Amino acid sequence: MNIPQNLKYTKTHEWIRVEDNKAIVGITDFAQHEITDIVHVELPEIGRTVKKDSPVAVIESVKSAFDIYVPVSGKVIAINDNVLSNPELVNQSPYEQGYLFTIELSDKTELNSLLNAQAYQTIV
Amino acid sequence: MEKLLNEMSSECKPAYSVNLDVEYDYQISENLKRNSYLGLPNIAESDLLRHFINLSRQNYALSTTFYPLGSCTMKYNPLINERIAKFNEFNAIHPYQAQESMQGVLEVIYKLEKDLCEISGVDYFSVQPVAGAHGEFTGLLVISKYFKSIKQKRTKIIIPDSAHGTNPASAALAGFDITPFKSELDGSLSIEKLKEILTPEVAAVMLTVPNTLGVFEKSVLEISKIVHDNGSLLYYDGANLNAVMGIIRPGDMGFDVMHINLHKTFSTPHGGGGPGAGPIGVKAFLEPFLPVPRVELKKSKYILNYKKSKSIGKIKSFFGNFSVLLKAYVYIKSLGSVGLKNVSEQAVLNANYMLAKLKNIVDVPAGEKCMHEFVLSPKSVLKNSVRTLDVAKRLLDYGYYAPTVYFPAIVEEAMMIEPTETESKETLDKFVEVLIKIILEESNKCPQKVKDAPVNTPVKRLNEVEAARNPILKW
Amino acid sequence: MDYTQQNYKAKKQMLDSIGVTSIDELFSDIPKDLRVKELNISSGQTEQELLNSFKRLALKNKIFTTFKGAGIYDHYIPSLVWEVIGRSEFLTAYTPYQAEASQGTLQAIFEYQSLICTLTGLDIANASLYDGSTSVAEAVLFALRMSGKNKILISSLLHPEYIQTVKTYLENSKAELVVLHQGADGAIERTVLEANIDDNTAAVVIQSPNYLGIIEDMQMLSTATKSKNGLFIAVVNPLSLGLFQAPGEYNADIAVGEGQVLGSPMAVGGSTFGFMAVKKSLEWKMPGRIVGQTTDRDHKRGFVLTLQSREQHIRREKATSNMCTNASLNALAGCVFLAGWGAEGFVNLAKTNISKARYAFNKIKSLEGFKVKFENKTFFNEFVIETQKNIKKINKVLLKNNILGPLDLSDFNENLANCLLFCVTEQRTKKEIDKLVELLAKI
Repeated sequence: MNIPQNLKYTKTHEWIRVEDNKAIVGITDFAQHEITDIVHVELPEIGRTVKKDSPVAVIESVKSAFDIYVPVSGKVIAINDNVLSNPELVNQSPYEQGYLFTIELSDKTELNSLLNAQAYQTIV
Repeated sequence: MEKLLNEMSSECKPAYSVNLDVEYDYQISENLKRNSYLGLPNIAESDLLRHFINLSRQNYALSTTFYPLGSCTMKYNPLINERIAKFNEFNAIHPYQAQESMQGVLEVIYKLEKDLCEISGVDYFSVQPVAGAHGEFTGLLVISKYFKSIKQKRTKIIIPDSAHGTNPASAALAGFDITPFKSELDGSLSIEKLKEILTPEVAAVMLTVPNTLGVFEKSVLEISKIVHDNGSLLYYDGANLNAVMGIIRPGDMGFDVMHINLHKTFSTPHGGGGPGAGPIGVKAFLEPFLPVPRVELKKSKYILNYKKSKSIGKIKSFFGNFSVLLKAYVYIKSLGSVGLKNVSEQAVLNANYMLAKLKNIVDVPAGEKCMHEFVLSPKSVLKNSVRTLDVAKRLLDYGYYAPTVYFPAIVEEAMMIEPTETESKETLDKFVEVLIKIILEESNKCPQKVKDAPVNTPVKRLNEVEAARNPILKW
Repeated sequence: MDYTQQNYKAKKQMLDSIGVTSIDELFSDIPKDLRVKELNISSGQTEQELLNSFKRLALKNKIFTTFKGAGIYDHYIPSLVWEVIGRSEFLTAYTPYQAEASQGTLQAIFEYQSLICTLTGLDIANASLYDGSTSVAEAVLFALRMSGKNKILISSLLHPEYIQTVKTYLENSKAELVVLHQGADGAIERTVLEANIDDNTAAVVIQSPNYLGIIEDMQMLSTATKSKNGLFIAVVNPLSLGLFQAPGEYNADIAVGEGQVLGSPMAVGGSTFGFMAVKKSLEWKMPGRIVGQTTDRDHKRGFVLTLQSREQHIRREKATSNMCTNASLNALAGCVFLAGWGAEGFVNLAKTNISKARYAFNKIKSLEGFKVKFENKTFFNEFVIETQKNIKKINKVLLKNNILGPLDLSDFNENLANCLLFCVTEQRTKKEIDKLVELLAKI
C-alpha cells in the first residue's frame, strides 16, 4: 500500500497536497484498490465554494458509487479533466495523474485536523 | 454470434405492408418535413423471425430452467393467464370508450382491488401504479398528502439498510428525507435503535416483511405500536408477500399503506424487465388520497369516479397496466382461497428444505429457519479467492439461472435464493447438489474453472468495466 | 387449481429433512392470534371454468371501429410482433442481471435503443420507461437535475393526463410548473413562450403532434428555448417521425413519448411503454436501465446492463430515478415493429396515416354543420372539427353503428365546447370512413 509521507489524509480516504494557499485533492491508493475498476468520475464545478467534509465528487465502479469528501473548506479553482475521460487514471496513478481537483484554501487551520501518513497507515 | 439488425439489412422489401385505399395525400411544408436519415433496417420477415427466435434462445427463462432469483419470486407463469389476456375483447378496448361499453374491464379492476384488499387486510386498493417502485412512490405521496391534510409537517421516512434500493429512491422522489435504520447482523430490527430515530418528524417507517434476509420480523407488532404512538404511519413493501399469503395480512399487523408486485406474487411474467404492476393498498382513512379515477359500483354498474378532491391526482395516464392486472386476476380466480394459502406454505417449505440442506455447509447469517427465501454468505467456505459472483456464473454453466447476489448489502458476499412454490423436490435437490459441488469441490480443486465461468453460455464472462468506461449504447 | 408440485410423500420427506413435523411449524414466528382463518375469496377454478367465465366477462366489453385517439391508437400489429413477444424465453425472463444468460433480451434491447436513436435523431436511448405520461415526468425531473434550475414551462396542449402526471410527480419538489396557454390557432406561440421563459427555466416541454393533433413549430420553439439556455423536451408520436422533423433536427435535448403505437395493443391504455432519447452529454444522468455493448473473455461481442451506478439499487436515495421494472416486453414489441417496417415501410405507414386522415378531414369539413377549427395547421392523424350539431347525439348514433366516435373536447377546454377530435389511422378503410361521413351527414 502506497502512502506518501508528504501528504495529509482523511479518515474517508482522501489525500491532500498543500502548496501555499492551494491544495490538490485525490483519493488514496487504498481507496482506489477497494473501489476496484473505476468507470466514472464526477467532479465539482470550477468556482464552487465548498465546505470541509462535504461531498463534492463521486467515483463510480461498475456496481457501486462513492462520495468524495473535500478535506478542507475553500473554492474549487481547477479540476482534472483527464480523469473525466480516462477514469482508470485514478486506479493507475492515484497520487499523480489521477488527482481530482485543486482548491483554494479559505482556512489553513483546518489542515491541523487532518491525518499524517503514519496516522493514516493505522486506519487502513 | 447473432448479427445485429443493422448488419442484416439489405435491399429487400419491408416485412410488413400497409393497405392504402385512398389517394396518397401527404404533402407538408418544407420546414416541418423530416430531412435527417432514418436508419431503420430492411429485412425480410423470414429472416427477422429467425433473428428474434435465435435471440430468444440465448435467454435463460422460467420456461426453460429453474430461476432461483431471490427477491424476485420467479414462479411459474400459468399459460391460461396469457391466453385470456389475448382476448380481443380486452386488447382492443380504448381507454376513452364509454363506461357502459367496458363493463368487463371495470369489473376486473373492481374485483381485483377487492380481492387484494381481502388478501392484504387493508380497506382499499388502487391498481394504477405499474411497478413496485411506482407503487412505493404513490404510497409515499398518499402519506405526504395525508399529513398535509391534518397540517402536520413530517419530512422523514425511516428505511432499514436491508431494504430494496427502490425504497429510499422512491422516498427521495416523493420529497422526503431518508433516515437509515441499521439492522442487526441477522437482519432483524432493534426496537431500541428504532426509538432513537423515531422523532416527531417521521412520517412513516417502511418495512419489508419478511425482510430481505427471508426472516419474519418478530417484533413487527411492537414496531407497529411504537410507530403509531409516534403519530407516524407504517408502510409495507410487498415484495415478499409470497411468504405469507393466507397466513397473515399486512393490514392486520398494523400496516397503513402497502404495495404488491403483481409480477412477483401474482404470477404475471416479468417480460425481461416489465411490464409489471404495483397496486397500492391503504387503510380507510387514506382512501380519499388515492389516485384517480376510482372504479366504483353504483346501481350494479361499474363507473369511473374522477371527482375526488383530496386525491394525489394521476400517477400515470389511464388506469394502470390493465393487461397485467387481468393476468393477476385470472391467477387469483384460478387458485382461490385454499390455493393462495397453499402457495405460501409450499414456498416456505421449499425454501426451508433447501436451507436445511445448505445450512451446515455455508454460513447463513439470519439463522437456521427462513420464510420463502434465504441468504447465504459463502465467503468463509470459498477457497482460492473464488467469489460469490464466480459461483453465480458457474451455476449458469450447469443450466441454472443464478440466485440474486450481493444483495442485501448488509451480508458479505451475499447469495439470495428463492425457490418459489412451483418447483419440485427433484429440481431443488439437483440444484442444491450442484451448488454444493461448486462451493466445496470446484472452488477447491479447480478454482480457475469457476473463475472462468461461464463457458457454456452464448457468450463467456462479459467485461462490464469496459462497457461502462467506454459506453457503446447503440450500433 | 394451483401450480405447486409436492405430493404427500415428498412433503413428508422435506419436513423430515428440515426437522419439523408440520408446515405450520415453519410459521411459528408469526403471531398466532393474527393468523388468517380463511380468506374470503371464491374457491379455485379449473382452466376450463376460467376460460368460460372470462369469455363471458370479456363479452361485457364492446369492440368498435374506432375514430378516437387522444393518446392511445388503433394501429395494425403485425403477426411477427405477436409471435416474438409471445416467445416464453422473452416473456418469462427477469431483468437481465446475469448478462451471459440473458443475451437475447439484452441484444434486442440494444437494438431497440439503436432504433429509437435513429427515429428521434438523438444519441442515447434508455431501455424503456413505463409509458408516455411517466416518460414526460422523468424527462422533467431529469432536466431539473441537470440544470440546477427550478422552473418548467409545459405546453397546455400536452395530453391532459400527462400534465396531471407531471404535476403529481412534482407535488413535493421545489420546482415551479408553468402552463403555456395555447394560441388561437391551436398551437403554442413564440410570444407566449418568450413571455414566460427566464434564466431560471430548466426546460420547456412541448408535444407534437399536440393534443389537438396539430404539428407544432418545434424548430421555432426550440430556438426560443435555447436563447434562454433552457433544455428543450420534445414529446413526440414516434409514428409521425416517418414524415415529420425528428427531435434531433430541431436540437431537442430530450425526446420522450408513448410507445404504444409501435406494436402494443390499446388494452385500455396499458401495458405500453415510454421511450426516452437524449443528447450524448446527458448519458450519465439519464434515468432508467441502459444496455451497452462490450466483449467477453474471447473478445466476442456481447451486451450488458451498463452505467448502473446511476440506478436505485446502487445509488439508493441519490439515484437518477426510482425505476426498476420498466416495460421491456413492450419495448421489444417496438423493436420488432420498427425492424419489420424498415425505413421505406415506416415512411409509407406515416404517409398512409396522414392520407387517410386528410381524406376523412376533407369529407367531414364539407358537410353541413361541420367546419374546420384550425385553418392552415398541419396535422398527422388527428384533427379538430367544430360542429353546430349535438355532440352527444353524434356519438350516440355512431355507437349504435358500432363506431367509437371522436373525442368531445368540451371537457378539455371551454373554448372548444363544440369541437370534436377525430383520429384516423391506417386501420380505417375508405369504406369505414365513408360510412362515418354518411352517418354524420344524416344527423
